[in-house]
Amino acid sequence: MRKLLSLVIVAGLGFLAGCGGSGSSTPVGVPTGGGGGGTGSGNTLPIAVDGGPVTGVIYPDGAFTSVTLCNPGTATCQTIDGILVDTGSFGLRILSSAITLTGLQALTSGSSTLFNCINFVDGSFLWGTAAVADVEMAGEKASSETVQVIADPTTFTIPTECSNNGIDEDNQAGLGANGILGIGPEPVDCGEACDPRFNGGVPPVPSPYYLCSTSCTATSVSISQQVQNPVALFPVDNNGTIVELPTLSGAAATESGSLIFGIGTQTNNQVPATAAIFALDSEDTFSVTYKGMTYNSNNGTPSFIDLGSNGLFFPDATITVCTDVTDFFCPSSLLSLSALNSETSAVTGDTSTVDFSIDNADNLFAAGNGADAAFSTLGGPNVGGGFDYGLPFFYGRNVFTSIDGATVPSGTPPAPWWAY
Amino acid sequence: MTLGLCLPAFAALGGDLSSVQADQTHMKASLKTTTGQAYTLQEIKTPSGAIVHEFLSADGRVFAVAWHGPSMPPMQQILGSYVQQYSAGVQAHHAAHVGRSPLNIQQPGLVVQSSGHARGYFGRAYIPGMLPPGVTPDQIR
Repeated sequence: MRKLLSLVIVAGLGFLAGCGGSGSSTPVGVPTGGGGGGTGSGNTLPIAVDGGPVTGVIYPDGAFTSVTLCNPGTATCQTIDGILVDTGSFGLRILSSAITLTGLQALTSGSSTLFNCINFVDGSFLWGTAAVADVEMAGEKASSETVQVIADPTTFTIPTECSNNGIDEDNQAGLGANGILGIGPEPVDCGEACDPRFNGGVPPVPSPYYLCSTSCTATSVSISQQVQNPVALFPVDNNGTIVELPTLSGAAATESGSLIFGIGTQTNNQVPATAAIFALDSEDTFSVTYKGMTYNSNNGTPSFIDLGSNGLFFPDATITVCTDVTDFFCPSSLLSLSALNSETSAVTGDTSTVDFSIDNADNLFAAGNGADAAFSTLGGPNVGGGFDYGLPFFYGRNVFTSIDGATVPSGTPPAPWWAY
Repeated sequence: MTLGLCLPAFAALGGDLSSVQADQTHMKASLKTTTGQAYTLQEIKTPSGAIVHEFLSADGRVFAVAWHGPSMPPMQQILGSYVQQYSAGVQAHHAAHVGRSPLNIQQPGLVVQSSGHARGYFGRAYIPGMLPPGVTPDQIR
């Protein structure tokens, strides 16, 4: 094994799995409760807006599902529920405390283990080993893919470059989930900026990857070993996804839907002729015009669709913000609003008018004895930014996300794009 | 950690031109200067495409920073002495509710707003009391 490792280091590109522990803490049982039911079949994975897996806490407008982790190349597997489905990130990240499977191995180089870091726009971050697993969802399987096993280190401290003065979500209460399934429009979590073939061996600052033993050093990682969007690794149905949630008017305890894998590969994932298709700009964003203002990356206010945002977030200083939770709107009565979606630079030239409503978040959360988890009219301010079409946008729309670099059906523009 | 590459913790926000240069060095980035009537804009661009704009007033102090790119910027580096206030704001945001939403820290002495998604981060921070006359937050991008 040592010889193999030195060869790998000379090559300068790869890490090996199987040379060290995953860093998992003592396994505990799979938490029960909400968190998406059923493991699906074929290319259809059930998802549910059901409040998530944390006992006594409702995660509003979060879509949850179950994924199956397996020791690579084996039938030794564990199905984990309470996984938040997110089209705004890339790769599968699961709390070590939710994993009972004991055979997962971290990637290593010499005596050092490869760690991954992701920062979210809200200042939170996740730290954990880059480990190799087979990931099964419905009838699909991503073999030997890199996933992040979220856990705090015990023999060193998390680099400040990663924590970035933010908040560590290394537990179920903090994360509100047992993990995050990132199935956005990119195949990996970093790409060329982290790959030594493209970055001259100089990792970005802050770096998503670190080699750690008693301390950590930022490192480059080849694209094939970065944390991967599992959909992109499926043998088939690997060019994108559709999120399907039923129409909702107001609030409900639970809404159930589907995550469909593949675009134009099966009878159930064809792009309708009537769909509006939006080719994404280089920032994976598009353009929204609202109340006479246009929000896109050309003027520093990009707009985007993101299942992992749990509301409709947009700039509108005329709407009253809640006094208790200033991240949400609290208008005195229901507001009926409209926006126009288009591309930042026209490729298809498609446009689409989006009619939506914003209700008082305090009233929404209080209704249904506080047990409701699904809200079609939940929104909040995105001051200084553009439109963030979070989960409520998906009610009543089948939203396609094609993955950058994938082969897409003829008649559609090169990926990545959104369509609905 | 690449501590050897870090210069002393000059404040960026609230600091002077030397703090901009410290940020540039820390981020292994190029620097471009645009001088306008109300302020001077320093654009720091990293090899990976992350861009930080630092706005300097006529007296040479950084009154605002804005960023966009494939990663969050190093907050300690660009916020300087304001980073603890940022950190407290993040904690408060997180304590308020479960879920994921844009960050909007609005305090008398510091505003921080952050939005976007993985591999596409956008945000800004500014000191309201230091905005030069005629400069509005909409210009901080």
